[in-house]
Amino acid sequence: MNVSLLLHLTILFVFPPLLLGFIGKTKAFFAGRIGPPLLQPYFDFFKLMRKASVYSVTTNWIFRAAPMVSTAAILAAGFMTPIAAFKPPVQFWGDIILFVYLFALARFVIILAALDTGSSFEGMGASREATFGCLSEITMFLNLTILALLSGSLSLSEIFLGGLSSSWLLVGPVLILVVVSFFLVLLVENSRIPIDDPDTHLELTMIHEVMVLDHSGADLGFILYGKAVKLFLFGSILVSIIFTFKTQDLLTDTALFIFEIIGLAIFIGVIESTMARLRLNKVPYLLFSAFIFSVIGFTVILVRGHS
Amino acid sequence: MIFLLISLSILITSSVLIFLFCQSKKISAYLFLWSLVAACGFGLWSALSVLCQKAVSLPLTSADFRVPGTIPLGEFYIGIDLLSAFFLLLLFILSLAAGIYGYGYLRDYTGKRNTGAHFALYHLLILVIALVLVAKNAVLFLAAWELMTVVSYFLITFYNESEQVRKAGFIYLIATHAGVFCLVLMFLVMGAHAGSMNFDQMTAAQFPLGLAAVLFMLAFFGFGIKAGFIPFHIWLPHAHPAAPSYISALLSGVVIKIGIYGLMRVITIIKDFPLWCGVFLLIMAAVSGVGGVLYALGQHEIKKLLAYHSIENIGIITLGLGVGMIGHAYHQDTVAFIGYTAALLHTFNHAVFKGLLFLSGGSVIHATYTGDMEHMGGLFKLLPWTGHLFLIGSLSICGLPLFNGFISEWLVYRSLLEGVFHLDIFGIIFSSLGIVALALIGGLAALCFAKAFGVIFLGNNRTSEEHHYQEGDLIMRGPMVLLAAICLWAGLFPANMVYYAFQGTQAITGMPAPFVLEEAIINPLLSATKVLLFGGIIFAVLVLLRKFFTLNYPIKLTETWACGYAKVSSRMQYTASSFAKPILKIFRSILFFKVETVSPKGYFPTKTKLSSSVKDASEYLFFRPLFADIKRFSRKLKWIQSGHTQTYILYILFLLVILLVWKLY
Repeated sequence: MNVSLLLHLTILFVFPPLLLGFIGKTKAFFAGRIGPPLLQPYFDFFKLMRKASVYSVTTNWIFRAAPMVSTAAILAAGFMTPIAAFKPPVQFWGDIILFVYLFALARFVIILAALDTGSSFEGMGASREATFGCLSEITMFLNLTILALLSGSLSLSEIFLGGLSSSWLLVGPVLILVVVSFFLVLLVENSRIPIDDPDTHLELTMIHEVMVLDHSGADLGFILYGKAVKLFLFGSILVSIIFTFKTQDLLTDTALFIFEIIGLAIFIGVIESTMARLRLNKVPYLLFSAFIFSVIGFTVILVRGHS
Repeated sequence: MIFLLISLSILITSSVLIFLFCQSKKISAYLFLWSLVAACGFGLWSALSVLCQKAVSLPLTSADFRVPGTIPLGEFYIGIDLLSAFFLLLLFILSLAAGIYGYGYLRDYTGKRNTGAHFALYHLLILVIALVLVAKNAVLFLAAWELMTVVSYFLITFYNESEQVRKAGFIYLIATHAGVFCLVLMFLVMGAHAGSMNFDQMTAAQFPLGLAAVLFMLAFFGFGIKAGFIPFHIWLPHAHPAAPSYISALLSGVVIKIGIYGLMRVITIIKDFPLWCGVFLLIMAAVSGVGGVLYALGQHEIKKLLAYHSIENIGIITLGLGVGMIGHAYHQDTVAFIGYTAALLHTFNHAVFKGLLFLSGGSVIHATYTGDMEHMGGLFKLLPWTGHLFLIGSLSICGLPLFNGFISEWLVYRSLLEGVFHLDIFGIIFSSLGIVALALIGGLAALCFAKAFGVIFLGNNRTSEEHHYQEGDLIMRGPMVLLAAICLWAGLFPANMVYYAFQGTQAITGMPAPFVLEEAIINPLLSATKVLLFGGIIFAVLVLLRKFFTLNYPIKLTETWACGYAKVSSRMQYTASSFAKPILKIFRSILFFKVETVSPKGYFPTKTKLSSSVKDASEYLFFRPLFADIKRFSRKLKWIQSGHTQTYILYILFLLVILLVWKLY
């Protein structure tokens, strides 16, 4: 077992909740509070793990299995995602498709779990999540197609570990468009403000949070953990697009990466503190504009040539 | 070959025997069951033995069987090549499963209906479909094609006492007959050009690009109606709900695929098409895929929903076919091979999971006596087998990892992405259009099946009365379990099915595929399986963790948390209409999505109403006005048909005189 693999897995499994800690701290700073400690998401996780779960009589095994299936699917996607400068454990030609589909699987089972409760609130959340999910998926695929075209590869590790470094000089504006569009997708997929508010559970405009209303105990812990990993994976892809500079030294690269992704978390925190949530019927427009950004980027590449 | 002949002769003899023993329900049913098993067994054996042969040299046909005919231009000439073998594989698997299920399904009707005739026709249908697949002569092909339409018409109209069913059957008959006109014309032109009606000679002939394009358009209309491309799809949402479920399974799994087979066969024969043909096919595929799934979202009737999903999947299959044709036009073998392989594999996968969905949907209807999803809910507990099987089907059709749908959708994506890499700017534009369409289709399909599965099986029952639903017995569950097992097998161990599809591809492209390409297709899929394995391990660890942490706690059961509201009724749940409303609202302008409400008046709660509907644009804006116009026009010509024999004889006389005059000068 080599060091980089070990580091990859450690960061993948352990680091993600810390991002939520940084977001929370940033929001507290803007609100003039001290805020919860950075490690609060970990404390929450262990607290939830030690609590008993309550199940509705309406539910079936789908409700109980969904948090674990979805978290496992998200973590499996992490096995293909390049983190810092490590080659991921598995890479193959076309893993970008599996990457997106694993998130689709994770979403699908949570939606089913929400419908399993028979509660109209959760049905509402499920319906919205599914709707926005399929709109963000097209943008995601178009962005990945652009990146594949620029780097000449269909494998995440080849795209993000060096495939893009020359593209910033050649077609920088396109990559800026991709970054903006991808950032919007990140906000939607991870249900952050201005699309969704991750801090409240009981508002009718909620999307993701209302879906997991009935989950409790360890199940809820897994869901929250899975969400943190998802944010981390999307974030690490985003920072790999932005920062293509690598020192070729394992530890320096890792440290750089951690700095970058914490920077991203703080940026998300700033957005959450300075913006209000959009009205629900405006969210599709945001998604369409993300899509338009990447369409424009794609057009520019086609006109300018990509190599 | 010999096994196929055995299988075909079993089918024909048994169908005659079943007809003869129509009166004895018991004998006809047993004859049906055992001859079905035997025929499908032999058929599968013959298909697999062709598919498994190592491709060393071309042509890859196994021994042919021909009886020089007495019909002008036609002869009984059949042979299995790799393409036929691949389709025979799915034909025999699905007709075996659907047939056994049908045997179980029809036991309720013994004595009430002429099930014997139905059984005999079922065998006849398998026979003629197999003949379409192996025909190597255009006349034989057309004859079998026509028989297929007629026989399936009788199978669809099993519940012929219902007005709606008769009408649906009629729409099916007319729609598919309209296509035959194009096919006859196409084969005549091909035959005239090649100098023979045999496919061998046609394949050997060279077609100029202009002629190829004309033939392609004829093939597209002729086969497209059967396959159900938008806007020719209108017969599908009528015929599928009207037919018994296992016939719908066969219709959706096999019969519409024969349209795809026809297109592929034309590609094998003509080989080189102008670029725009592929582009046209790709655009039609994107339209059918996205349109099919959007219409499906607006349906609340289980089988209508599944019927629209067939259109969507035909779209996905054709995306692969289209990008394959584009790749071929650019002489990019990688793109062409992967595209065709994707199309073939998705054809098979769709047959399996759609068959599974129709059969399990049929079990739901069988138990609840309704197809309306809004009256269901909570069936997962009442019909556990059906529920689990429907779940597997739903996960497969959404293309989610672990199941077979993912493998073929992955290949379609792959072919489109290879198109982005290998083609010029024009090709890139259309490949990326395909990618966006497929991404949209994938997301919408997941939404639609979350809706279908969630509303039918999860939550609480939406009707207030007590239910004692009867789960189907082993003979009805067995075929579904078989199909579900294939879904999982082909999803977890994709190597075999991909190899078979790859073999079929060689028949389409007419050249042996480089071994490197085969590895380039299969190896990434094996790595994907590795990722899923990691996912499985993590899942197991999480399960153990949860076990470990919750060891000391008893599991608490309560009502669903209703945010403090105490008087919750099951009718307050999200319904199928409400679940699909947000997305339908986004696409309302192209779907004619309408919500009609009657607002309650006064201060106290009163009765109110809400209904939402989606209108099929091609039916209401195109075909209905068109047929109304045709009707009006024909009414004006009514005076020709006087009804007097003498007048008709006069017509004949006129015609003869005209012909005579024409001949003389």
